[in-house]
Amino acid sequence: MSDFARQQGEFQRGILTGDDTILTEILDSPKEKRETLFGVYRYAYGSRLVEAVRNDHELLHLYLGDEMFDEMGHAYVKARPSEHPNLRWFSQGLPEFLKSAEPYSNYPALSDLAALEKALNDAFDAAEGPVLALEAMAGFAPAVWNDLIFQPHPSARRLGLKTNASAIWMALKNEETPPDAEVLEEPARLLIWRQDVTPMFRELPTEEAMMWDEAANGIPFGVLCEMLATYDDPDAAAARGAGYLHGWITSGSLTGVSAGD
Amino acid sequence: MNVASRLPDSSAAALADRPMQSAKPPFLGFGLGLRAQHYDEILSGNPPIDWFEVISENYMLPGGQPLRTLDRICERYPVVMHGVSLSIASTAPPNFEYLQGLKDLARRVEPKWVSDHLCWTGVHGKNLHDLLPIPYTEEALDHVVSRVQLVQDFLGRAIVLENVSTYVQFNNSEMTEWEFLAELSRRSGCWLLFDINNVYVSAFNHGYDPLAFLNGIPADRVVQFHMAGHSHMGTHIIDTHDHPVCEDVWDLYVAALKRFGRVSTMIERDDNIPPLDELLLEVNRTREIAEKVLPGKLAE
Repeated sequence: MSDFARQQGEFQRGILTGDDTILTEILDSPKEKRETLFGVYRYAYGSRLVEAVRNDHELLHLYLGDEMFDEMGHAYVKARPSEHPNLRWFSQGLPEFLKSAEPYSNYPALSDLAALEKALNDAFDAAEGPVLALEAMAGFAPAVWNDLIFQPHPSARRLGLKTNASAIWMALKNEETPPDAEVLEEPARLLIWRQDVTPMFRELPTEEAMMWDEAANGIPFGVLCEMLATYDDPDAAAARGAGYLHGWITSGSLTGVSAGD
Repeated sequence: MNVASRLPDSSAAALADRPMQSAKPPFLGFGLGLRAQHYDEILSGNPPIDWFEVISENYMLPGGQPLRTLDRICERYPVVMHGVSLSIASTAPPNFEYLQGLKDLARRVEPKWVSDHLCWTGVHGKNLHDLLPIPYTEEALDHVVSRVQLVQDFLGRAIVLENVSTYVQFNNSEMTEWEFLAELSRRSGCWLLFDINNVYVSAFNHGYDPLAFLNGIPADRVVQFHMAGHSHMGTHIIDTHDHPVCEDVWDLYVAALKRFGRVSTMIERDDNIPPLDELLLEVNRTREIAEKVLPGKLAE
C-alpha cells in the first residue's frame, strides 16, 4: 500500500470513528489547532449526511421533531456509511434501518412512514415511459380483450404497510395533527406512481391489489377476471376488472398494453 | 500471430504524462449555478444569464422532473457540468459505474465542459460526500495525473478541475497547492476551474497570501471562475456557500481578472438559497467588474 493510500485510510478513519492518529500528520494553522481544523471535516460529515436524510424524509422529520430526527439520523449515518457516490441514494436504507434497529424498531409506523416517503421519492425520479391513454384501448376488438396484457408505468410500485403510516403521512402533509400510530389488522396495500412530474399514492382494495400484482406479472385480462371472480360476486367480476383497469389508465399508472402472444 | 505484441501498452512508463491536447473551452460570459428553487422562474422568465452550471449528480437519475427541466434549460442556455463525486485523488479504484453515468449525462447535456474537484471523497468502499484534502507530494501528483488521464480517456474529453477549500495541511507536503495544480494541468492536459472564494478561504486558513496562489497558476489553463460566500469562524473560515460573496473575495476577483483575463465566471450558492433576483445582482456585479477591469476585452 502506498503512503498516500495509507494516509487516506487514516484520514477517513479519523472522520468515521473519531480516531486521532491522523492528527500526527496534520499541521496546526497560524491561528488554530489541528484538532479543531480536522473537526471541521468530522462535523461536516455527520451534518451533511443527516441533512440528506432530512431532505428525503421531510414528513418523518416533522413527525419526530428536530431533536429526535437528528439523533435518529446520526444513528443511521453511523450504522450505514454511504457506499454510493451520489448522495441521492444515501437514505435508501432508512426504512430497513428503522425496522431493525432499536429503539426505532419498537415503533413500526416510523419504518412504514420512511418506506412511503422513499417510494414517493423513487417514483419522483424514476425512469420515463409512455402513458397508456384510454383511446388506445378502443383499438382492440372485444374478442381479444381476454388476451390483453398490461405493462405498469416505470414509476409505478407497490408497497405494503403494517401500520396506519399513510394516514399519518396524509395528516402531516396537510399540516394536521397525525392520528395515533397503530398496527392494522390487515396490511394496507398501496400503489405509488408518478403522474406527470408528481408522485402519487392510493390504497388499493384487496382484490384490486391482487389484480394489479398479477397484471404486472403478465397475466392476461381474461384470467385476471377469473381470479377476481374468486374474491367477490363472480357475475360482476369482469365489470369490476374493467373498472379497476379504467382507474389505472386514467391515473397514468400504465405504460402499455398488448394483445399477448 | 503474436497476440502480446498487439496489446496496448499499459505499463506505467507508457501511460506517464500524456497531456490531452484539447482546444481551450470558449468564454461563456457570466453565469449562475442552477438550483431547483429557481426552475420555474427561469423557465417562465428566461432571465438574462449567459450560462448555467449544473451539479452533475443531481441529474444522474433515471428520469422525472429534474432531467426534464435540465433538457429545457439546455435548449435555452449554454450549460457546463460540475460534479462532486469524481473523487479524482482517491487511492481506491475508480468507480466506473459512476464514470459511465457521467458520460451518459454528458452525452445528453452536451456541456461546454465537465468539471469536478481536486480532492477525494472516500476509500475502502465508503463515500464521505465531502471534498477531502490531499498532501501535495510527488507521489500524490503522479497518482492524480494518472487518474486524470484515465478519466479523460474514458470520457473522451479533457476535464476541468477546481481547487477546493481546505481546513488542514499535511506535514509531508513537498510543494504548494498552486505548484501541484500547475504541474497537474501541464502533465495531464486538464483545464482549471479557479474558485476565487476557495483560494481566499484556504489562504486565510493556512496563513499564506492569496495573491501568491493566484500568481502561481498558469494563466492559460484557467477556463472558469467560481465566486461564492463563506462562514468566518474567527480563527478559520468554512466554505459554506450560504452567504453572498464578501468584499475581500470581490477584491480578489479583480486581481484574478488582471492576471487571467476574461474567464467564464459564475455565482455558486448551495445553501440558504435566496430569490433569483438577489443572485442576479451578484451575477451582474461579476459582469460589471469585468467590464471595468478589462474594458473592450469581453466581446468575441
